[in-house]
Amino acid sequence: MAMHGAGVRVSTGAALVGALIVWVALLGPFITLLAHLTPASVVSALSQPGAFQPLLTSVTASLVALAVILLLGTPLAYLMARGRLPFLRIWEAGVILPLLTPPLVIGLLLIFMVGPATPIGAALSHLNLTASDTFFALVVAEIYESVPFYVLGAMAAFATVDPALEQAAALLGDGPWRTWRRVTVPLAAPGLANALAVTWARAMGAFGAVLIIAYHPFGLPMQIWVTLQETGLSSALPYALVLLVVALPLPVAAYIWSAHARRRL
Amino acid sequence: MLAADFEVARREFSVRVDLQVPPGERVALLGRSGAGKTTTVEALAGLLRLTRGEIRLGERQLSSASFPIADLPPGRRGVGLLRQDPGLFPHLTVLQNIGYAPGADPAAARVAGERLGLGALLGARPRGLSGGEAQRVSLARALQTKVDLLCLDEPFNSLDRPLGLELLEVLRRELEDSATSAILVTHQLEEAQAFAQRLAVLHRGEILQVGHPRELVLRPASREVAELVGYRGWLSSGAQTMALHPDRVYPVGAEDGGEISARVLGMVPQGARIELELEAEGRWRGRFRCRSDRSATIGELMWFAAPGAPIFPTAEEPGTALRGG
Repeated sequence: MAMHGAGVRVSTGAALVGALIVWVALLGPFITLLAHLTPASVVSALSQPGAFQPLLTSVTASLVALAVILLLGTPLAYLMARGRLPFLRIWEAGVILPLLTPPLVIGLLLIFMVGPATPIGAALSHLNLTASDTFFALVVAEIYESVPFYVLGAMAAFATVDPALEQAAALLGDGPWRTWRRVTVPLAAPGLANALAVTWARAMGAFGAVLIIAYHPFGLPMQIWVTLQETGLSSALPYALVLLVVALPLPVAAYIWSAHARRRL
Repeated sequence: MLAADFEVARREFSVRVDLQVPPGERVALLGRSGAGKTTTVEALAGLLRLTRGEIRLGERQLSSASFPIADLPPGRRGVGLLRQDPGLFPHLTVLQNIGYAPGADPAAARVAGERLGLGALLGARPRGLSGGEAQRVSLARALQTKVDLLCLDEPFNSLDRPLGLELLEVLRRELEDSATSAILVTHQLEEAQAFAQRLAVLHRGEILQVGHPRELVLRPASREVAELVGYRGWLSSGAQTMALHPDRVYPVGAEDGGEISARVLGMVPQGARIELELEAEGRWRGRFRCRSDRSATIGELMWFAAPGAPIFPTAEEPGTALRGG
């Protein structure tokens, strides 16, 4: 018995050490970032003329992308979670495909799909939109890179809502829209918030597809890349910090809020 | 007035219902598990599509098999449904749950909650409630929703029996006060009798008999009804079966009004009762478990009081024939 107990203690200890190593390794880049930055270098980088433009571009493009994803992805996620779509697996595959495709490849394919020389590109030009090196292109690239994270997350969130509760609301007099607003969304909200937060972080950090179809206007990831190319590692680091500072608080807040909200349910 | 005449297809058999419920009347739908009781009330509540017929409530057509697209959705039919699962919204407080229905008066919701003994819990969330409390919240919520017909699908069956009967009585009074019609689904005769003015017996999707509870107990129209209302002894003469109710048939002296004489062919004591194998009047044979103050001996001739024991044609498929207990 004693031997057995000691064995359990040793293996628990080993697992703990292993977990700690993984945790530190995952956190390592962030620790390194802070170690290599001086306040002076951040100030000097951000006091360059036009230094805030990429930040502004990234934030506005990501907000627009997020709004579009929210508007189009939410009904899709709900219908998929409720199994109300025929050939559900095919719909799922469609959502997962952008996730499995390297972003760089997505960018290449987008050029062929919505580039100026394509029928869709021609149609867009009637709306005075060009999906190449424009703010619009940046939004499109960010959407493609981040939408699966939202749809899959929202789907999981909706799946946790008991359909019997939606039925109870309907029986008490709510129409489908009111039921959705008063029961489905509040109950799925913690999961939806998490999905949205991850999506935000992905959209803010979108790079592969952006590099191909929206080199201009510079968002933060492009700014980091270009600075790295032109002036080197140390001058790119402050922008990396800015990207993290802007991209991360929302996910962290969403995570904390949803954990709190789940406890109340 | 509810006028329902419809059919809903199910996997094994279709549920066929022809039922009228005048305003303010309480009807109990009695039947075994799987008889189609829940299907019936779900169709009334608008959760299922009809395969034939229609459902009308007053002047309004609620559902119709011929034009299902015009079926009124659950919340607009004036039909409530209270189920065994209280279905409380976990993100809302007890008070918000009670006053959930669109147009419900918050002050009235508070009063309703307090009347059902939920006063101290109105600000709580459903998560920590006991089964009885949750069911009371559900009941208060159903009563706050203005309906012309309230369907009750064994709502209190998961509660212990005294509490369930108490809540049913509360509900009965509320329905009486508001002159609301109700249909109670149950498989317990006592519950049905305590609640309803009229009883409909459902068996394998068919309504076999509708009537006053007492009429059904005294004069069941078929063996299935007899079984459901508590007949447990079956004596067969071949083509016919006589049904014996353990509370209505008991041994007496020949001079004390004995109506049936029967020879004891076998006897097994069972708890406070005895199960007898009998041959009555020279032609009825079968087993019957009855109350008895005395033991019986094999070959003995016993007399029984058996006021109006019903007689049915023997079922072609003797699936449940000639068994005691």
